[in-house]
Amino acid sequence: MADSSAPQFRRAVIALSGGRTDRSIVALASEQARPDHAELIGVHVVEIDWTLPLDADVAGRSEDAQRVLDIAEATAEAHRYKLDTVLLQARDVGAAIVDEATERDADLIICGLPFRRRFGGDFAIGATIPYILKNAPCAVWVIREAMPEEQA
Amino acid sequence: MIGGRRPISGRKPGDKRVRVERPHTPYFRYTGPGQLTAKAAASAPTTPSGRLFARVKALFIGRPLANEEEAGERLSKKKALAIFSSDAISSSAYATEEIILAFLLAGVGGAAFDLSIEVSIAIAVLLAIVAFSYRQVCIAYPTGGGSYSVSKANFGRLASLVAASALMIDYTLTVAVSTSSAVEQIASAVPALDPVRVQIGVIAIGIILVGNLRGVREAGSIFAIPTYLFLGSAFLMIAMGVFRIVAQGDTGPTPSPEVIKATTETAKSVGILILLRAFASGAVALTGTEAIATGVPAFQPPEPRNAARTLMTMAVILGVLFVGITFLAANFHILPIEEPKQTVIAQISRHVYGDTVGFYLFQAFTALLLFLAANTSFAAFPRLSAVLAEDGFIPRQFAFRGDRLAFSQGILLLGACAATLVVIGGGSTHALIPLYAVGVFIDFTISQAGMVRHWLSTKEQGWRYRIVINAVGCVLTAVIAIVVTTVKAPTSLVVIVLIPTLVSAMLFVRRQYDGQAEELHVRDDMVFDRTRRDQRVVIPVNGINRSVVQAVIFGRTLATDPSMLQAVFVTTDPEEANALRERWDRQLPGVPLVIVESPYRAIVGPMVTYLDVLDRAWPPDREAPTTIVVLPEYVAKHWWDRLLYNQSAKRLKAALVGREHTVIANVPYRRTGS
Repeated sequence: MADSSAPQFRRAVIALSGGRTDRSIVALASEQARPDHAELIGVHVVEIDWTLPLDADVAGRSEDAQRVLDIAEATAEAHRYKLDTVLLQARDVGAAIVDEATERDADLIICGLPFRRRFGGDFAIGATIPYILKNAPCAVWVIREAMPEEQA
Repeated sequence: MIGGRRPISGRKPGDKRVRVERPHTPYFRYTGPGQLTAKAAASAPTTPSGRLFARVKALFIGRPLANEEEAGERLSKKKALAIFSSDAISSSAYATEEIILAFLLAGVGGAAFDLSIEVSIAIAVLLAIVAFSYRQVCIAYPTGGGSYSVSKANFGRLASLVAASALMIDYTLTVAVSTSSAVEQIASAVPALDPVRVQIGVIAIGIILVGNLRGVREAGSIFAIPTYLFLGSAFLMIAMGVFRIVAQGDTGPTPSPEVIKATTETAKSVGILILLRAFASGAVALTGTEAIATGVPAFQPPEPRNAARTLMTMAVILGVLFVGITFLAANFHILPIEEPKQTVIAQISRHVYGDTVGFYLFQAFTALLLFLAANTSFAAFPRLSAVLAEDGFIPRQFAFRGDRLAFSQGILLLGACAATLVVIGGGSTHALIPLYAVGVFIDFTISQAGMVRHWLSTKEQGWRYRIVINAVGCVLTAVIAIVVTTVKAPTSLVVIVLIPTLVSAMLFVRRQYDGQAEELHVRDDMVFDRTRRDQRVVIPVNGINRSVVQAVIFGRTLATDPSMLQAVFVTTDPEEANALRERWDRQLPGVPLVIVESPYRAIVGPMVTYLDVLDRAWPPDREAPTTIVVLPEYVAKHWWDRLLYNQSAKRLKAALVGREHTVIANVPYRRTGS
């Protein structure tokens, strides 16, 4: 259900990691985008390490990478919404997402953040989300979602 | 699936990224390791004519639905009641009349008023028994198929096929009879339409057919409202009629001299046989009772319970309507009038509602309900045919769902058969009635006998009580099946002949499928890790051109070794052959060209015979090779100029189909320019 008090946007880039949060953030984004018919772009970045050239044939051959985007697209369709998908190869995931959002003139970046509290409750936040928060040219939604073992 | 990669600069010098194209996305979606799911675009037509056809088709039956949308196509109890019960409920419109006619035809019209209520109550009791039996079928056999599933599980193949055949005949007749009857109701109200009854009937079947091709949920939406309108107006009519009889002592309209003459006989002269005939005639009220048990999977979950509840609701409604209408007919002293046609129910409604809008609305609702009865069969027949197709008794395409998830083949077959019957019967219900209900009582009998056996083998809780109900129902329906067949003979015997014919046809189809499965069976322990036969490549050529060269290049990749490749030129002109050989050796070295002169001017015959000779020349101690005939094919740009090319290749292909160890490979050469 769309929240009428949520900030409006016209084009959002959804960072898809292939993790458990992908479905929920796509579902949420679809519902939020509906009132204003906002455009949704799902971006999955395959990180290429320095042992390979950046344009090595990696993501195109990876069914896993394709499936991340296809599942996201199907999730959006299940919520009767359209999601465009972009598959990228980059050295740094955060930079690629920020650059893609900049190029597409997005006014929102949506990221998922799975967390667990077992060992003292610290977030394993990684490097990507802090980079996006620091460098994004637009608003950023970070959607926190507990890992399954935390829900029991 | 590999696409292109395009480097893009980032905001900072080191932040380059590469965008990877995903060429599969418009058509496929990865859904698992090594697993793709096709999107609608993958099966979309690519030619202009194909797109036009698809658009026209979508206009009539709607956009194609994906399999996962099927859950949304399940029926709620309310819609299911409208779809599956209209057949049974609509029979209340004519069952009373059948009882009265049975007494009249026996020359004891007076008994129609004295005994018809008792007969209708007896039929209602039978209805309760049959409904209770089928309620148990819904729960015990939730996969649908009704009597077919019950008899298959308990009696095996033959009995189940008899049940299925009887059901299929009955469903087809339901469509034809109900449609004819509905059109008669319309023609009675608007006599000007009488000459085009057949056309109206066929068009009505066409409309119902299209409604069903659009999918069951939408069919429910289209057809649910008239069912409830009929029920509302019929119950109102019964309530008003009973009030008038009980409170006001209404004895009906003033009887005509014919009615008085017909009813002078009294009940004293009524024998058991006449009573049985009246009972058997009125038992047409039970037709359609089994439809819900056949269509259990169409219900929303929990399917068996929802189906069982809908079935019992339907039985109660039908029982009350039937007994109520018979009560009114008996107390209003109403007999059917042939000229001009006035049905019993029409006379009752005219008497109750008067010559008002209420009467015409009721007539319209009755006609609509009769159309819906036809729709019940459109819901049940395709499901039964799908179950039969899955079991291999009818062609497998009957199990495939169409664009809208409906079993399109079954719907189309039913529509065609019913429309044919309407045409043959001249749009007359009377012409088709003798065939009706024979099949359904055979089906009831087999089904209930199957349930008796089911309880005997499972001995579930309460089996003794249940077995008694099914046993009583079985005996009663068996007796009625015999009586109905006897009193409606000789026409009814058509059904008796048709059932074994259909059973034989189904057994024949199954035997074909079994034979094919046996022929294609691969043992679990077999491993296919290498080529088992040598591959010989033969390329029929008509000269040297781009198409032939492409075929030769392709053929080279297929031959086991170069000596197994050869081109063959069948010609009537030796000079042309010599010229070709000189050019061939120069331009296509390493590919032997065999020239076959054909003084009798045939092309295909000498070519096939040459292949036979090659086979005979193969060493008998070696396994025969696979002969791959590579056919160069020029693909013309337009459909109309395709008639100009490849005619010899087509004839050769036709001659080679079915040839042992022979594979035909078409190598198309497409024009790229304008």
